[in-house]
Amino acid sequence: MDLTDKEYVQRCRDGHPDDFRLLVHRYQGPLFSYLTGRLGDRSLAEEAAQESFVRAFQSLPKLRKPESFYSWLLGIAGRVAQEQFRSRKRHQRDREAAETILADNADDPEEYPLEEAIAALPETYRQMILLRFYEELSCHELAEQLDLPLGTVTKTLSRAYALLRQELQARERAGRTINQTELP
Amino acid sequence: MNCIECRDELVARIEGLLGDEESLQCQAHLETCAACRAEYAAFANLHQQLVARSHAAADVSIVEPVMRRVLAVHAEPEKDTIMSILQKHRWGLGLGAMAGAVAIILAALLSVPKTQAAAVVVMTKGAEAAAKLTSIHLRGQVRTPTAENFGYPDPASDFVSIELWKQFEPDLKWRVEKPGRVAVMDGQSTVLYVKPLNMGMKVPQPSSSAFDTGWLHKIANLSNTITQDRDNAIAKGWKLNLAEEQAADGRAKSVVTIQAKSDLPDSDYLKNQQFDYADTRRVYRFDAQTGLLEAVGIYLTRNSGDVLIFEVNQIDYNRPIDPAVFRLDLPANVNWYQEPQKLTDNEKYAAMTAQQAARSLFEACGREDWTEAAKFFPMPIPETLKQFLGGCQIVSLGEPFTSQGAGPTDQFVPYEIRLKTGETHSYNLHLRKDPQTGRWFWEGGI
Repeated sequence: MDLTDKEYVQRCRDGHPDDFRLLVHRYQGPLFSYLTGRLGDRSLAEEAAQESFVRAFQSLPKLRKPESFYSWLLGIAGRVAQEQFRSRKRHQRDREAAETILADNADDPEEYPLEEAIAALPETYRQMILLRFYEELSCHELAEQLDLPLGTVTKTLSRAYALLRQELQARERAGRTINQTELP
Repeated sequence: MNCIECRDELVARIEGLLGDEESLQCQAHLETCAACRAEYAAFANLHQQLVARSHAAADVSIVEPVMRRVLAVHAEPEKDTIMSILQKHRWGLGLGAMAGAVAIILAALLSVPKTQAAAVVVMTKGAEAAAKLTSIHLRGQVRTPTAENFGYPDPASDFVSIELWKQFEPDLKWRVEKPGRVAVMDGQSTVLYVKPLNMGMKVPQPSSSAFDTGWLHKIANLSNTITQDRDNAIAKGWKLNLAEEQAADGRAKSVVTIQAKSDLPDSDYLKNQQFDYADTRRVYRFDAQTGLLEAVGIYLTRNSGDVLIFEVNQIDYNRPIDPAVFRLDLPANVNWYQEPQKLTDNEKYAAMTAQQAARSLFEACGREDWTEAAKFFPMPIPETLKQFLGGCQIVSLGEPFTSQGAGPTDQFVPYEIRLKTGETHSYNLHLRKDPQTGRWFWEGGI
C-alpha cells in the first residue's frame, strides 16, 4: 500500500508539496461524491472540491492529527459547500428557478453521511474501501496490488462494511436524537 | 460455518468470489441465522450505495487543477523576489466551471440592473470570441520598478514596456520581457534572466507561467480571464459597468469596467503590492461587432485616487510567432540560482530566528565577509548587491511579520541600515526558511 495519510501530510509539511498530489488523487472521488450530495450540482461540487483541497493544503500546518486528514478535509469541504450555498442563494433568491438549481438538502449533511462514515474508518479499512470503489479496483486487482491473498482482501472488506454499517447506524441514532431534542 | 466465519465471507459472496463449497456453507448458515441474513442484506445495500457513489465520481479528475493552485500557493508570493519558481494560477476554476457558470449567469441576468446584465453579455461574447486561440501577442506598458520581477505594480514608478508572446498550439511556449528582464518557456524548461545582475534561474520543466508573470498570463488566457472576471463580479458583487463608444473609424466599442477587490485584508503587508493582491479597476475594451478584446487598462484603486498601472494597447490573435522568440541566448558566465545545500555547521543557522538571520546577514555584509553572507543567499551574491551593502551598519531591526499573501515559511524583517555612503536605507527584508536545510534565505526587500 502507498504511504499513509499521516506520512503524506508530513512530507508536504517537510517541503514536498508535490506529494499533496497523492492525497488529492486518493480523496478526489469521495470528496466529489460528498460535495455533489451537499450541493446537488456536479460542476459546483467540482469547484468546491478544488477549493477544499487548496484550503486544506494551506492549512496543513494547523492539522493536529495528520492521520485524520480525510475527516478534516470533509470538515473544510462542508464549510466551502456552505459558502457556495449561501453565495448562490444570495444571487438567486428572487428566482423561482433557484429552487431547481439548489439542492433541497444542501445544508443538511445528515443526508450524505456515507463519506463521513468512511472518514471515520481506521486507515487500513478506509484505504481498502477507497481503492475498491473510488479507484474502481476489483478484489482481484486489490489483492495483486497489495500483495495479499484474495481471501484476506474480501475478509478485510467485510470487516470494513461491518464498521461502516455500525458508524452509519450510530449517526442515524444521533440524528434522531438531535431531531427529537429540537421538537417543541 | 459459524456467524463470525459467515460474516467474514459476506463481501466475497456479494462479489461472487466464493468457491462452490464455501458458497454452499455460507448459504446454509444464512438460511438458519436471521442475524447474519440481516447483516448480509445490509451489506448488499451498502455495496450498492458504494458502487453508485463511485460511478458518480468516476470521471472526476481534479488533481492537476488543484496541484497548479497548490504549487502556486506554495511558491508565492515573493515581494522583490528573483526566485519565484512556480507559476501562479489562482483563477483555475476547473473542468466543470463553465457548466456552473451558465446557471450563475442566467440568475445574474435576471437579478442585476440592465447595465450590468449587458456587461455580462459583452464579456460572455468576448470569452467566446477568444475561446480558440492558437497564439497571442500582447504589447503594453506597466508601472513597476526596473529592479523588480514582473508582478509588482508601483504607482510611483514610470511606465516600462512589457510584452508577452504565447503559443498555445502545437505546444505551449511563452516569453515575457521588460527592460533588463526576460522569462522564456521553450516547451522544455523555464528560464529567467536578469540582465543587470547577470543572474539566471532555470526550472527544468515547462510551466504555464513563472517568475511573477502569472497575472499577465491570466490576461493572455483571454477566454478564461474574461470568464473569471465576469463570474467573480457576479459572485462577489464587484461593481460592473458597460459603456458603448464609437472609435474614430466609426466602429462601435463596448467598454466593460470591473471594480475588483483583493481577498487580502487592507492591513496585510502585501495588499496592493502585487497584481494578484491589489484592489483594481479593470477596463476591457471589446470590438462590439466581433466581440474581440482590443485593449485592457488596469488601475490601482487607492483612497488618494486611481492610478493607471498597466495597459495593453496591442493584441495580436493567432498570428504565427517566430520560433526565435522562444530561444534565449545567454552569456557563458551567468550566475545561476542553486538549490541550497546543508552546511557543516548548518544547525547553527537553522536555529536562528528571522530577526537573528537578518542581523547575521547585515553584519556579514558590513564586514564584507561575503563567504558568511553567502550562507543567506541561494545564488552567488551579485556584484551590485555587494557594492550596495558592503560596509553597511545596522541602525535598527524590527519584529518580523508575515503576510497572508506570502509563503508559509516567509517572514519580513523591518530594518534600517546605514550605508557606507552615509545614507540610511530602510525597508522590510524578505526571508524564507528553506525546508530542506532549515536556514533562512534572502528573498528580497533590499
